[in-house]
Amino acid sequence: MSDEATLQLPLLARVGHAQHCKICLQGLPSSQVDVDSARLALAFYCLGSLDLLNSLESRTNDFERQDWREWIWEQHTQGRYGTGFKPSSYMTPSHNLDNYTEFDAPHMITTYTALLSLSILKDDFSRLDRPGLLKFLRACQKDDGSFYTEPGQGGDSDIRTTYCAFAISSMLDDWSGIDVDRAIPYITACRTYEGGYGQSPFCEAQGGTTYCALASLYLAPSSSPIRGEPLTAQQRRQTIRWLVHNQGQSGGFHGRTEKEADACYCFWCGASLELLGAKDLVTTSALASFLARCQFKFGGIAKSPGEHPDPYHTYLSLAAISIHPPGPDTTTSTSWNIKPLDALINTTKETAEWARSHIPGQKIKS
Amino acid sequence: MPTIHTDPPTLYAERSDWADVTPQAQYENVNPLAPIFYTEEYKDATDYFRAIVKSGEMSERVLELTENIIRQNPAHYTAWQYRYKTLLTIKAPLDVELRLMDELAVKHLKTYQVWHHRRLLLTETRKPVPELAFIARSLKADEKNYHTWSYRQWLLAYFNDDELWDGELEFVERMLKGDIRNNSAWHHRFFIVFQSGTRKGDEDRDEVVRRELAYVKQSISQAPNNASAWNYLRGVLDHSHTPYSTLQLFVQLYTVPHSPGETAVEVIDLENPPPSKDSQLPCPAAIEFLADIYELEGGNGIPKATELWKSLANEHDTIRKKYWEYRIREALQSTGP
Ligand SMILES: [Zn+2]
Repeated sequence: MSDEATLQLPLLARVGHAQHCKICLQGLPSSQVDVDSARLALAFYCLGSLDLLNSLESRTNDFERQDWREWIWEQHTQGRYGTGFKPSSYMTPSHNLDNYTEFDAPHMITTYTALLSLSILKDDFSRLDRPGLLKFLRACQKDDGSFYTEPGQGGDSDIRTTYCAFAISSMLDDWSGIDVDRAIPYITACRTYEGGYGQSPFCEAQGGTTYCALASLYLAPSSSPIRGEPLTAQQRRQTIRWLVHNQGQSGGFHGRTEKEADACYCFWCGASLELLGAKDLVTTSALASFLARCQFKFGGIAKSPGEHPDPYHTYLSLAAISIHPPGPDTTTSTSWNIKPLDALINTTKETAEWARSHIPGQKIKS
Repeated sequence: MPTIHTDPPTLYAERSDWADVTPQAQYENVNPLAPIFYTEEYKDATDYFRAIVKSGEMSERVLELTENIIRQNPAHYTAWQYRYKTLLTIKAPLDVELRLMDELAVKHLKTYQVWHHRRLLLTETRKPVPELAFIARSLKADEKNYHTWSYRQWLLAYFNDDELWDGELEFVERMLKGDIRNNSAWHHRFFIVFQSGTRKGDEDRDEVVRRELAYVKQSISQAPNNASAWNYLRGVLDHSHTPYSTLQLFVQLYTVPHSPGETAVEVIDLENPPPSKDSQLPCPAAIEFLADIYELEGGNGIPKATELWKSLANEHDTIRKKYWEYRIREALQSTGP
């Protein structure tokens, strides 16, 4: 349109964002002690950011990457509920090769992020205990079709864990670890009258859990009855409407109706639209200008302008830019070029390809 | 006379009542990813916690230790799990634990574990009724807190007592009176009215739908630009299979600017409450709704819908320009030759 001036976008501070993630990988201040039991997930957001920025090779060296792979494999742990990755050694008194105890067990979300992190670091996965991983998935599934974060009693379960179980099965190219037919009704029970999905049945629709629900449905194997188009035309329309309405006047997305915009929902809602084949409906220039304002002056991206950055919001903002790069109505520089993303398993296409060709292992020839 | 006051040692390593335990340092490889530079207090407490978990001790002092860790790191899920198991094993009074949780829940509202622990406790105590007042109190600290609302929904669905449901509609109305844009409250309203069985007095479902439509229309008239209310309205219509067109007269009032001559002399139609005088009109959500009615009408409705979508794309809701243009394309395609 002739009356619309093109928008001049500020630079995406690539070096600053890479630096923020590199610093976090090297160590966190005591004020971040709350990530003690989720360190591997945090590491994934840091490594994933470097991957999206195409900075992994330039900002880290072979020795570091080798050490990090070793550290992640230290979290690979076997026991009575099968094999998976634990979040860190925060409950491990000493290195031993014995089976894990009930309180040092592998964790579903961590296992998903460990597989992706190792793929980013180009591990060959020769050490992966695949039958053990299938056993772990089996041990985590509940009667209602959802999944515990950890096997045994005491763990919680909601749709985020379902997504991780689906993504792991998809990367393994083996769905024998989960009962898909039992998992799907749980996902559909999370759908609400607004067209989004809540964290568990009866809960309010939310951007992050909507992504988990949709990605799970689209990941489901070809043998499952919903494969192809898991939503009815009416449901798809309603979900697209809700997602599109989550983009606010600031250009950023909010996660729930009538809430403030937050950088992470630019990914959760933006990726959901991509999964529904409706990514063209996002106003990308406004989205980019919102994320540009979320940049922290010393590096990293925050949830909203003026807040402090963290690897989670940095990664998800970059992932959102990857799916929805600023369009031709913006004047921009190459600083906004982010590697293409696989929106289903949430990593770069290159890393997804690595994961899919190395995680399944050798197919047994029949 | 000054008294000599010595603080009790804060570190477990210095406490005589813990002298029988050999602390277990965290195993760490030479170059770990994202190591945390722990405070001395945290390192000390978790060294003792690893030792306790290793020995399997479940005792009063384990409750003190896990509380200490939780206060330093409320996301330490293993401390929560071990604490829960200890509470049950030593048969600790769970009402005392709940009072402690009252404090920790408000302090750490956004921590998942606080709420998960509370659910586990309730499945043991099975006394859900006082929880409703507790939840109402903690919502005061954060009215849209997702965990708090989820906990309330879980509590109602899990125990499913008439006594629990009795005051819910009143509660949710109070919340909405406090903030008409609280989508969590609107969602909760939908859950209690339509998704959880039929309450006493609500057996006439048509009457319930009429009541809900009247309620949401009234709410829209007070604050027309509230996406939560419009989504609720759509939800009620979809759920009850009521055609959108039955609301045409109502929504049309919101699709045009205030007229200069509008005064109190007009007769108020209770079925179609008009927008409040200070509201901003036209309301994009109403234009969208009217366009939906026209689209469903088909035929001559399509050009009318297209005009409305164009006005949204170019004037009233430009952030969603691409979406409104997509709606135009879709409508023309489905009616095309
Ligand atoms: Zn966020």
